[in-house]
Amino acid sequence: MLVPYKVLPDQYGSFIYSATLGVNLALPQPNAPRTKRFEAIIDSGASRCLFHASIATYLGLDLKSGVMENCNGIGGQQKTWIHDVTLYIPGGTVVIKAGFTETLPVARLLGMNGFFEHFSITFDPAKLECELKRAFRN
Amino acid sequence: MSPANTIRLSILRSAPLDKWIALSSDESRIIAVGNNFQEAADNSDASGEPDPVILKTPSSWAVISV
Repeated sequence: MLVPYKVLPDQYGSFIYSATLGVNLALPQPNAPRTKRFEAIIDSGASRCLFHASIATYLGLDLKSGVMENCNGIGGQQKTWIHDVTLYIPGGTVVIKAGFTETLPVARLLGMNGFFEHFSITFDPAKLECELKRAFRN
Repeated sequence: MSPANTIRLSILRSAPLDKWIALSSDESRIIAVGNNFQEAADNSDASGEPDPVILKTPSSWAVISV
């Protein structure tokens, strides 16, 4: 699957390219209703998938009933709460342990655990696209 | 820049900051705005758009590094 880079404005009136993917989340129970599609940044610098707490609320999760995990970022440390969720990604769903936080400046990040582990990923800055090949472990 | 990204950039620059926005399925229009994911989803339902995509806009368009 080829994912064209998308633009985001910057603060100087220009723009930056970002590899983003439309995904859905649901509770991990079978046939649980999924969220509407939302845009997530493919971020190899994120140790795990992180989502805004607003999405946890939408799913009916009690945010702080999850296991609290401190998350180190360039802006300092912030608290996240871990919940099992189903992530809808190309090639099928996966149940992952995702972090939810009230302080994420964007809606969500697709990180190493929960996303990258399921794909061979090639970022192509010349073509301004990202290639995702689903990897299924034996 | 691709035509799709040209439209997207224009849309995002016009979008309210620190809100949740829903774009049309072809990502050419903002069809709903909300203060949280639920509001954006509900308001997009009201618009009749069959397959919106929801984004959160930051408080300013600074580069992202978390």
